[in-house]
Amino acid sequence: MELIKDINKKLLDWLDERYDARQWIRENLTDKLVHKHINWLYCFGGLSFLGFLLQIGTGIFLMMYYIPTPKDALASVQNIANNVPFGWLFQRLHSVGANVVNLLVMFHMLRVLYHGAYKKPREFQWVSGVFLLLITMAMSFTGYLLPWTQLSYWGATIGTEMPGATPIVGEWLVQLIRGSAQITGITLTRFYAIHVVVLPLTLIAFLGIHFLMIRKVGISGPM
Amino acid sequence: MAKKAEKISSNSKRSFLKILFLSVMGISFGGVVYPIIRYLSPLSQQQAVEKIEIIKDEVPIGKARFFTYKGSPAVIIQTKAGFTALSAVCTHLGCIVKWLEDKGEFQCPCHAGRFDTTGKVLSGPPPNPLPQIAVAESGAKIVIG
Repeated sequence: MELIKDINKKLLDWLDERYDARQWIRENLTDKLVHKHINWLYCFGGLSFLGFLLQIGTGIFLMMYYIPTPKDALASVQNIANNVPFGWLFQRLHSVGANVVNLLVMFHMLRVLYHGAYKKPREFQWVSGVFLLLITMAMSFTGYLLPWTQLSYWGATIGTEMPGATPIVGEWLVQLIRGSAQITGITLTRFYAIHVVVLPLTLIAFLGIHFLMIRKVGISGPM
Repeated sequence: MAKKAEKISSNSKRSFLKILFLSVMGISFGGVVYPIIRYLSPLSQQQAVEKIEIIKDEVPIGKARFFTYKGSPAVIIQTKAGFTALSAVCTHLGCIVKWLEDKGEFQCPCHAGRFDTTGKVLSGPPPNPLPQIAVAESGAKIVIG
């Protein structure tokens, strides 16, 4: 125990000398003051972020066994769920976790709405938050197709048919999203790329903005 | 005296709580790390097959047949002396050896290591001969392993 304390102190001294570590910790953690009215309702934003981190972790593990082709997709997901040690755990965590993250994001949004926390000077917090909600839902939609089950297939068919109602460009939009006239292997690889690269990077960018702004402006005051 | 006893009891309470806390942390940490390690470890059934059967007619004299044995590439050849099964993984840096039919020897395409029909090194960088795998004939089949 004494040894660990000693190592901790030396490490902090080393970091202090170079980066003012102790002051940084004081300002951002130990001596940071928040409003007295903060309660558990204010947890949903942080919980959403925690859920997102969990989705990234389990998602990376699933990518190691998942094969994004029409021939192998379902079989590889079944392999993860049935054969790979603890595969059922990571597969379930990822699919159930996706629903939980959506719920947490909604609760977070309702809390902000109820408290009027979107008002000046936090308008852009709300705007970036709406983008985050849309990205989260796009994540759910693209991820839903990947196991290539009947539900996935027809869910994606219905979802990608909807933009077809757009005047003039509708038909073109549907084909752009699908990459083909119907849902095919091209759609699968397209959704896979969007699900694992495009959307996570966009989400991280918006999260960065979202977090930087709340650090700058601070949590909203009492109602 | 009473004061001292009190101090000891408060100390032992604190150290008990500390041990309890660290145990819970350790178990939680292990509960996360253990599934991850098991998940990432290669599947056990890949190495499950211990014996492989090959039909004799598939390996005429002077020809080689490659197969997978315990998850690694292996090769069987027939010479005038009979059947020989060898690991096909070069002992130098792990490339897969080729069978040169006209020369009657194995050659590694990576750094030109050469092996004879018993797996012995003829030339090149390999430090050890190719490991032999047990072969038994049973009727029209060869049982390897």
